[in-house]
Amino acid sequence: MFRSAGNSNSIKKRYEWKGIIYILPVLAVLWFLDFYPLGIGIFSSLTNRSIAHLFYYQIVGLRNYVVIISSGTLLKILGQTAVWSGGSIVLMASMGFILALLMNQPGLRGRKIYRTAYLVPWAYPAFITILVWRGLLDYQLGFVNKFLALFGIHKIFWLGSPALAMFSMIMVNLWLSFPYYTIVYTASLQSVPNELYDAARMDGYGTFGVLGRITLPLLKRQIAFITVFGFIFTWNNFYIPYLLTNGGPGTSTYILVTYTYYEQQSLLQFGVASAYAIVSVLFLLVFVIVINKYTKMMSVLY
Amino acid sequence: MINNENTPGNEIQQKSVSEARNNYYRRIRKTKRVLTHIVLILVGVFAVFPIYYIVVNSLSPLASLASVSVTSMLPTITKLSFDNYFALFAYQNDSLLRFWFPNTLIYAGTATVLGLVLSITSGIGLARFNIPGKKAILYMLLILSTFPFVIMIIPYYDMFSSLHLTNTYWGLIITYSAGAVIFAAWLSKNYIDSIPKDFEEAAQIDGYSRTQALFRILIPMTKPVLILALLLSFLGPYTDYAYINIMVTKNSLWNLALGMYATTQISSHAINYGMFSAFAVIMGLPIFIIFLVFQKYLIAGFSITMYK
Repeated sequence: MFRSAGNSNSIKKRYEWKGIIYILPVLAVLWFLDFYPLGIGIFSSLTNRSIAHLFYYQIVGLRNYVVIISSGTLLKILGQTAVWSGGSIVLMASMGFILALLMNQPGLRGRKIYRTAYLVPWAYPAFITILVWRGLLDYQLGFVNKFLALFGIHKIFWLGSPALAMFSMIMVNLWLSFPYYTIVYTASLQSVPNELYDAARMDGYGTFGVLGRITLPLLKRQIAFITVFGFIFTWNNFYIPYLLTNGGPGTSTYILVTYTYYEQQSLLQFGVASAYAIVSVLFLLVFVIVINKYTKMMSVLY
Repeated sequence: MINNENTPGNEIQQKSVSEARNNYYRRIRKTKRVLTHIVLILVGVFAVFPIYYIVVNSLSPLASLASVSVTSMLPTITKLSFDNYFALFAYQNDSLLRFWFPNTLIYAGTATVLGLVLSITSGIGLARFNIPGKKAILYMLLILSTFPFVIMIIPYYDMFSSLHLTNTYWGLIITYSAGAVIFAAWLSKNYIDSIPKDFEEAAQIDGYSRTQALFRILIPMTKPVLILALLLSFLGPYTDYAYINIMVTKNSLWNLALGMYATTQISSHAINYGMFSAFAVIMGLPIFIIFLVFQKYLIAGFSITMYK
């Protein structure tokens, strides 16, 4: 609609202190409900606070970090988190992009029907649909196995074996998230002026030529931004791993955020739990900084 | 086309060559179209099926998950039954209607309103005023939205228990609105950036003060992003399980998600899958319908705020 109109105020260099009144409430929220608790979180990762030392705990320095690293748990969970987020983002982003390309073809019939159908997984609250998927993927009684039996396929342990449980989690995540990626990629595809496509067609490029020479180079930063923040969101996605498998079988489908919750709520090791969370945050921060250095994706923000 | 010599024999040859080529391209285009539709339909079935499944289940006289079968997925009017819904409303002394549903509306509704007021004013502040440290605040909002909430649970618990706010409505509402405000502020800032200043400036020439112009002219123009932020910030508390599970111990303060989880645990396998299905429909369908009704705004809100 009104693109590229907002940057006029960056020309003025004079600060407007009056504007602070507008953001004061948010600054208060940020301070009291984000930074202060985060500070407590960082502090408690340096203590031996647990159910046994609930009120009288001591500072133990980096011992929690040493323990989680030397026990090998951190590395295992970190690996699982990477498989989960990496696998999910590759599938979600590519499915979303391909669907956006397909839906963006000129003269496609039934576009509205498809778009409404694709909104369904996104529009239905995820908390519910994850529980529905748990029923669908049940080994004994689930609909998926009953359906596969029609084709003579033997029952599959979707949620009960380590590798398949991770795969099922990623597939459920794909179901939940591809609508979002389709929408945002459609929006970014439509931000490319049509004249460029026409010009490329005139020069004799086919579908893939246009894609490789026009679409991808122009949308490089947007795609990087969407994908990187999608990766981070998936990394911190709590409900799918928690509700679908709750870490099982064994600890094979815990990711950092669900393992932190488990350590905190079931083992009641608050200090150790905070250490896991802090490692996760540090990892993501480094990741964003490194990626930004190569892709300059943050420039889509201005 | 390729050959420019105009001998009569060449002309005929050219014609048939170009016709054959046209046919070839037409066939390719047709195959492409058919393939596109096949892919799109398959994805559509994949997308819609779980919801269809749960609606059909909730309306059939199901005993358990075991009685779901491939044939029971085909809707039959004669077997239509609302027993599952009646069973659900009677479940646990009407907890659903007396506590869970009103509680959820109170939490999500109040938090959304509070969060929206905060985020729209801060969006205006960040977009329209040259505030010192603006860039830092924007980065912070973005980075904070990527922090895992689990790190906050224990500090929140400490803070709220020292303020005697655990097991109260306000304790939950405060955190929910804080959770909503970060992303919503960021969205509305980006959206307001895309609206030209001319409208407010014209209003100021007509005698409005700057504040009046911002509130009376600018805010109504942010409708798409307001609706987007409203839906996104409503959905968080509406389906929150992990946080309320820790902050609340009284059953009378439960929300729908906790009730849902309890129902699922009880009816997970054998006992009453129909009741779970009915719960899933009752809890999800209102949100679903609202999302579909407002889908235009969702797409507009997203596409303008994410790309400039």
